[in-house]
Amino acid sequence: MRPMILLADGAGRYVSSGVIQISVTNLVIIAAMILVFVLALVLPFPGRHHQDSSDRDS
Amino acid sequence: MTAVDTDQPPVATPTSWTARVRERISRIVPPGQALPDRQPAYMSSWIYVFGVLTLAALIVVVASGVVLALGGVTWWHVSSLGHFVNSLHLWSVELFFAFMVVHLWGKFWMAAWRGNRALTWMTGVVAFLGSIGTAFTGYLSQANFASQWISTQAKDGLNSVGVGAFFNVMNPAQMLLWHVVLLPLVLGVIVVLHVILVRRHGIVPPIDADEETAS
Repeated sequence: MRPMILLADGAGRYVSSGVIQISVTNLVIIAAMILVFVLALVLPFPGRHHQDSSDRDS
Repeated sequence: MTAVDTDQPPVATPTSWTARVRERISRIVPPGQALPDRQPAYMSSWIYVFGVLTLAALIVVVASGVVLALGGVTWWHVSSLGHFVNSLHLWSVELFFAFMVVHLWGKFWMAAWRGNRALTWMTGVVAFLGSIGTAFTGYLSQANFASQWISTQAKDGLNSVGVGAFFNVMNPAQMLLWHVVLLPLVLGVIVVLHVILVRRHGIVPPIDADEETAS
């Protein structure tokens, strides 16, 4: 029976810059969250135009 | 029983403790604001959705966690349904944190502590930190190689700050109890307080909007 060898250092890709080291997976997740944040600010909310034209909340 | 004269105006200071508690509860949030059906116009933005998305994810986290507690470690490791509920618990936590961080970014950049809302902001901060601790003890409670790896890596950091004596990350039973009893209780109370404070003080208006005219 062949012995099984686990190589942890082969798992995943990392981006390094000085003292900062982050996995590509985590970097993608952070970028996606920033994208969601920006989209939440710029995308129109459904019904917004209708509400702005009425005096419902004034 | 006390006879009440209906011709007299209501007594200003209730004498029984139940009446006093009832009065106190009724004054926690302004009338009609506990479950409002109308919101200020400035809330017509996606950035205001992430708070309730965080709450919705938390409900799924708690519900899936309750099912995991019913089945136990062997169930979530070996059965198909156990794997599914385990994954549901994990991914609802991932979404919970993602929604909460976007909510945090939005509230930070709109300076949401304005207008006597400092306690609302601080309960949110404590809920965020408590959530990190709850998630951490959850990763330690997986009962697999990952939890062993995380615990042995974390013990040195926690020992270096002197908390290892009473918070032993290499004690799976202690970590499981912190994860399923202590931290959820504390977190649950803080989240309820946070939501009550949001309803009490209202949603913070945009920085360039007048507080009085915006609501």
